[in-house]
Amino acid sequence: MSRGKSGRPTRPSGEAFWWALFSAGGVMAAIFVPAFILATGFLLPSGDPAAAAEGAQRLAALAGWWPVKLVLLGVITLSLFHCAHRIRHTLMDVGMRRLAGFLKLPCYGGALAGTVWLALVLWGI
Amino acid sequence: MAETKTITLELFRYHPETDSEPRFQSYEVPYDEDWVVLDAINWIKDYVDGSVTHRWSCRMGVCGSCGMMVNGEPKLTCAAFLKNYYPFPIKVEPLVNFPVERDLVVDMEGFMDKLQDVKPYIIRDDVNDTSEGEYLQTPAELAQYKQYSMCINCMLCYSACPVVGHEDDFLGPAALALGHRYNKDSRDQGQSERLEVMLRSEAMWGCTFVGECTVVCPKHVDPAGAIQQAKAMGAQEYFKRFVMPKGAGATKGAGA
Repeated sequence: MSRGKSGRPTRPSGEAFWWALFSAGGVMAAIFVPAFILATGFLLPSGDPAAAAEGAQRLAALAGWWPVKLVLLGVITLSLFHCAHRIRHTLMDVGMRRLAGFLKLPCYGGALAGTVWLALVLWGI
Repeated sequence: MAETKTITLELFRYHPETDSEPRFQSYEVPYDEDWVVLDAINWIKDYVDGSVTHRWSCRMGVCGSCGMMVNGEPKLTCAAFLKNYYPFPIKVEPLVNFPVERDLVVDMEGFMDKLQDVKPYIIRDDVNDTSEGEYLQTPAELAQYKQYSMCINCMLCYSACPVVGHEDDFLGPAALALGHRYNKDSRDQGQSERLEVMLRSEAMWGCTFVGECTVVCPKHVDPAGAIQQAKAMGAQEYFKRFVMPKGAGATKGAGA
């Protein structure tokens, strides 16, 4: 990394890219994920068991529709990258700052692996 | 006759020419509920120990010189009333995250460097002749940046920020908020130049939104909010440059 007179880096970095994924994922994780959990985990099972079972089947069928698959892929993938970025920065904050570059591999690599796995699962529905 | 009430001040002392390491020295100071910590330190310097070294000027929360750690919290000592601590002792230390020059005085050079990095002044490509009058601004355009212009460079936010403490490349709350203040000014055209600096690896991205800078700010500036907005602006600039390289995507001033 080239450094200027002050000793600070002189060139823009790719951190903006990871932050953009983190930021978008934050919106997903804060709004859509709790809404999904509320709907599928609490509201749906809280009524008549037979109606809940039917509702669950309908939801499963809905997840097989490709626009819904894309939405799920977007919401979950961005949430994974949000999580990865937060973990990386937390690790840097607790003393692993020198490994900032290396940490991208397990953190963002993990999120990418999760995305690939998710894509395969959605493909199979 | 009623006994005069006193309060104990424990001052951080360090004179590099004689002290091998810092120490604390206790002073008994007359207690007056209208006094602030700065009054007490001035009293010590005037009547007890003239070698106590500290910075101060206006005594009214405007100059930003008298920032110190008061019982572990970054405070303007001119706004920290003794009555909020009485009868317990008050420990006064220099602002943390800065090298100590002498007693309660810190070295501001690193901060001044960072401040200059963000070019905290209006940059114009085309300068109007004075005969054309002022650059007019609507109240809404003023509201975009006004709160960030209230910063008095007291550096309390640098002491409150854990990232400043362990990341030299991080420009810090005040400098970033001030850079953002000019980026949001409709008269300015230097956004691209400033973002060039702010987009560097940890310069702005080092901020993990702890938010303590906003909590301790004596002028109610919201540096944490400014940094989040600046990050969003920076991310847009990054993608613009990616799509349109070689400066074609450079963003001009907010109002241009």
